Amino acid sequence: MSLIKKPGGKALDVLQNLPRITLANLRPEPGSKQKEKRRGRGQYGGNRSGRGHKGERQRGTRPRLGFEGGATPFYLIIPKYGYNEGHSRRPQYQPLSLKRLQYLIDVGRLDPSQPIDLTQLVNARGVTIQPQKRDFGVQLVDEGAELFSAKINIEVQRASEAAIAAVERNGGVLTNSFYDPISLAILIKPVPFFLRGQPIPKRMHPGEEMVPFYMDPCARGYLAPPEQVQQARLALAKKYGYVLPDLSRDELFHMLSSRKDPRQIFFGLSPGWVVNMADRKILKPTDEKLVQYYGS
Amino acid sequence: MAAPVLAVRTGILFRSFKTFTTLKPFIPVISQYGVLTQTANYHPKPLKLNLKDPYIPDKTSEKTPEWQLTEKFDRKRYGRYGDASGIDPATLWPTDEKLEAMIKDEAEWHPTLEVMLKNISIREEEEAAKRRAKEKLIASNMAKMPKMVADWRRERSETKKKMAEEKTRKDKLLAEARERFGYAVDPRSSKFLEMVAEVEKEQKKKKKLLKRREKEEQAATPLAPADE
Repeated sequence: MSLIKKPGGKALDVLQNLPRITLANLRPEPGSKQKEKRRGRGQYGGNRSGRGHKGERQRGTRPRLGFEGGATPFYLIIPKYGYNEGHSRRPQYQPLSLKRLQYLIDVGRLDPSQPIDLTQLVNARGVTIQPQKRDFGVQLVDEGAELFSAKINIEVQRASEAAIAAVERNGGVLTNSFYDPISLAILIKPVPFFLRGQPIPKRMHPGEEMVPFYMDPCARGYLAPPEQVQQARLALAKKYGYVLPDLSRDELFHMLSSRKDPRQIFFGLSPGWVVNMADRKILKPTDEKLVQYYGS
Repeated sequence: MAAPVLAVRTGILFRSFKTFTTLKPFIPVISQYGVLTQTANYHPKPLKLNLKDPYIPDKTSEKTPEWQLTEKFDRKRYGRYGDASGIDPATLWPTDEKLEAMIKDEAEWHPTLEVMLKNISIREEEEAAKRRAKEKLIASNMAKMPKMVADWRRERSETKKKMAEEKTRKDKLLAEARERFGYAVDPRSSKFLEMVAEVEKEQKKKKKLLKRREKEEQAATPLAPADE
């Protein structure tokens, strides 16, 4: 007698023997639908319909929000100061907490056995980036650093020190790299870009203000020399008090060490190539000038 | 009849789809809840490229809108239909003139890393020099401070003394005037001023007499020993 338990068991039996699902068999989960408030009906809802007694309240003629009966209102009496000056020119970075990253990996939306890029994050619907709204990418926030336990090769645009420590403590790798707005728009929506029939552009360097950040090994910048980055990894491990795992012994060493060229937008695709989605072909330029331009 | 259909439907969840979606064979993970194997994957939206019936605008006819005769639209058609659009792929890349313009723009608006680093270093040096000069100035001024404080204190005490002296002198004169005239004289009146002038004259005479006497004494004393 085989006592092998069927996965599902009685529930599967029931499911297989029930009639087909129709609208007549469905009902919402009890407690999920809340009845709407209907004004002007019944003994208590009727009469003044929740509007109060006479005056501007009942008659709906109250003045605008902020009006203080003629006195100079608060929002005008307080003098301006340059807190918001140039706010529309400031680069913004969509936050991504380590908690959310762990969730995305756990439910299978992100694949930790491949490098995690902004394209992967957007495909997994983990973050929403709007390049037209001064978004320059994603920043890794250290909320959930205690729960984080995934070994990943992740590329973000900004990361806090604690987030870097949390990623490296689990044997992962973090890189901060810069994407100019055009490259960013291509990165987050690659397929619509390929359908445009344009050659892949070069990724531009960051502006003068951001160059020191992306050359800083402590911030794991993509322009920083690798030896200094290794030293910074050791220093951070000492600071946060964990043992830095040796990546050269790792089975995923090749994946973890794969990094993009500073001018490259996609892994495996160089600037200057044209991707033909219909025929599944990649076209590469052969003209010297073009090769030189796209290779510089 | 319903059962086999349902069996197929439930079966699909535990099998993987074949053609379109990317199969990711995951290594089973052993966690506190048992062995977990991922079965569901990301299914991207199907790309509707419409390769069977591509739209190719008639370049010669007048009825085709202008925007369908542009290079940009040609590139989009190639991107969408591929070789079936009938466009020479060599036109997708920029021409020589356009390439030169692009290189020129880049040279102007996107300086190389070396140039940027140089600018940064120059700027930082300037800032550091400014800061150093400021700190030097502050240090030198602070070094002068004890002396300046002592000077000020000394001056303050001196002015105080002077004021006290003035006051005593004035009080004396007032007392003199009171004695002489018999009533409190207003210091601003002409009588008082005349009296002050007289007092000063008398004082001067006294001084002169004193000086003469001193001179005579001095003249007397050296002569006396010289004589002896």
